[in-house]
Amino acid sequence: MTYLEREPAAPKAWQDEMQVTNRYTYGVAGERFFRAIKDESKILGTRCNNCEHTYVPASLFCERCLDHLDEWIDVGTTGEIVTFTHLYVDYDGSPLLEPETIAFIKFGDGGIIHRIESNESQQIEIGMSARAVFKSKTERAGSILDILHFELMTS
Amino acid sequence: MSDRVAIIGIGWSGFRPVTPEYSYKELMYEAARRAYSDAGVDPRRDIESFVTVAEDFHEGTSIFDEYTPDQLGAVLKPMHTITGDGLHGLATAYMLIKTGQFSLVAVEGHSKASNLLTPDGVTAYAQDPVLNRPLRMNTHFVGGMEMNRYLYESGSTQEQCAQVVVKNRSNALENPSAPFGADLSVEDILSGPPLSWPLGVRETAEHADGAIVMVLASEEKAKVLSETPVWILGAGWSNDSPGLENRDWSSANYTKNAAKMAYRQAGIYHPYQTIDFAEVSDIYAYKELQSLEELGFFQFGEAGLVTEEGLTHKDGDFPVNVSGGCLGMGNLLDANGLARALEIVLQLRGTAGPRQLEGINVGLAHSWRGVPTASGAVMIMSN
Ligand SMILES: [Zn+2]
Repeated sequence: MTYLEREPAAPKAWQDEMQVTNRYTYGVAGERFFRAIKDESKILGTRCNNCEHTYVPASLFCERCLDHLDEWIDVGTTGEIVTFTHLYVDYDGSPLLEPETIAFIKFGDGGIIHRIESNESQQIEIGMSARAVFKSKTERAGSILDILHFELMTS
Repeated sequence: MSDRVAIIGIGWSGFRPVTPEYSYKELMYEAARRAYSDAGVDPRRDIESFVTVAEDFHEGTSIFDEYTPDQLGAVLKPMHTITGDGLHGLATAYMLIKTGQFSLVAVEGHSKASNLLTPDGVTAYAQDPVLNRPLRMNTHFVGGMEMNRYLYESGSTQEQCAQVVVKNRSNALENPSAPFGADLSVEDILSGPPLSWPLGVRETAEHADGAIVMVLASEEKAKVLSETPVWILGAGWSNDSPGLENRDWSSANYTKNAAKMAYRQAGIYHPYQTIDFAEVSDIYAYKELQSLEELGFFQFGEAGLVTEEGLTHKDGDFPVNVSGGCLGMGNLLDANGLARALEIVLQLRGTAGPRQLEGINVGLAHSWRGVPTASGAVMIMSN
């Protein structure tokens, strides 16, 4: 609570909000990356042979040598957990009653940031494998949300 | 013509969790008047160029750079605003003087964070809009994931991170401008609520309001105007890939590169031996440990151990964040780097009051722009 809210006789302030609504074009590489998720349940990367580096999510260019990339690679749907966190605050800063588990799962030389299936999240450890669980094809819209979450491969 | 550039004037307003009576312009005005008085200059007559740092979304005003000349005495004079940290602004002022075109330049940075009613919305809007933001995750997750991997690889512990909070908030008790001074134990920190495990709420700097202005001068001007010039020996800055998918989750390579650039200019080969004390980013407690290693003061995994041993304590061999850091002075948004530099200047002048360090000649200021950025800046100064 701010001072202004506590003290009615405090100096005045004006309140306003910015209206900001944007459209974000996926781009050439982004469109192919999200189409592969939507139509084929595949995660794609692009390969730079100069730098021996596979970009996931796929990129049109190599940030190391700035070469144009056109070698596309299917990197599978199971990757290794590089790091994770149990997040106790919501998007807007309000507390979450149940924490959500977020992880970075490695694919190629990059990876995907996503949620871990909530029933399993307490068993999570760095180095475990996790697999992408996709929404049913009819529900997919061509976005990162076409992946429902990742599930841990505990065996 | 000499190359050297000095900081000859400092002024600040704050720092407090809220400043309901002052507008951001009045905070800036107060800091500017103090800095000009400290430097002994008339801004309208003497200051030749002005640099400010600000981010539109923090201010709630689009094209915010248009709103900065008047309160600084910069109307109808050369000025520009950088969307970066205060150390980026300081480095820019340094370069302006190095061009030989200007001999007196002012730098400003401020925070009116208490007026930003939806700070989490602003950091969320800094996430990648198609890869990360659709998942609607609070941006602190980036800090939690980085801390987790950093602890995993370096062998540093949550207790060592808590020790950073204990040290910095205790240091803040000796700093009248730091609002978050407290006498706490490691247990007090670790028993606090989690934010993004392993990161806790009490290991995260709270926002504060305030403004900082500095006046920089060429060597010729500095020698005329100042009895205690603080010389800039080197400045460096660097950004890693913005993509969370392309970054190294345990290291802060941007800080390493920024430091290399500054050390090269300053001719420093052995940072720990040459530099006497440092002010580094501790927006999250683990960041102090990670930054000290990236700056080359300690090996990877050592910073936590030396913190436990008291080496970075104000009475230790290598004092770090004697000001209280961000944990003690508050997270000042774009002004964080200037707050770190301010302490370096006060210490090198010998005017740091009860927290004055003895026998110091070279200090280093470091800053990081906070999640989700991978941007770091470094400045090295001497008396
Ligand atoms: Zn390449």
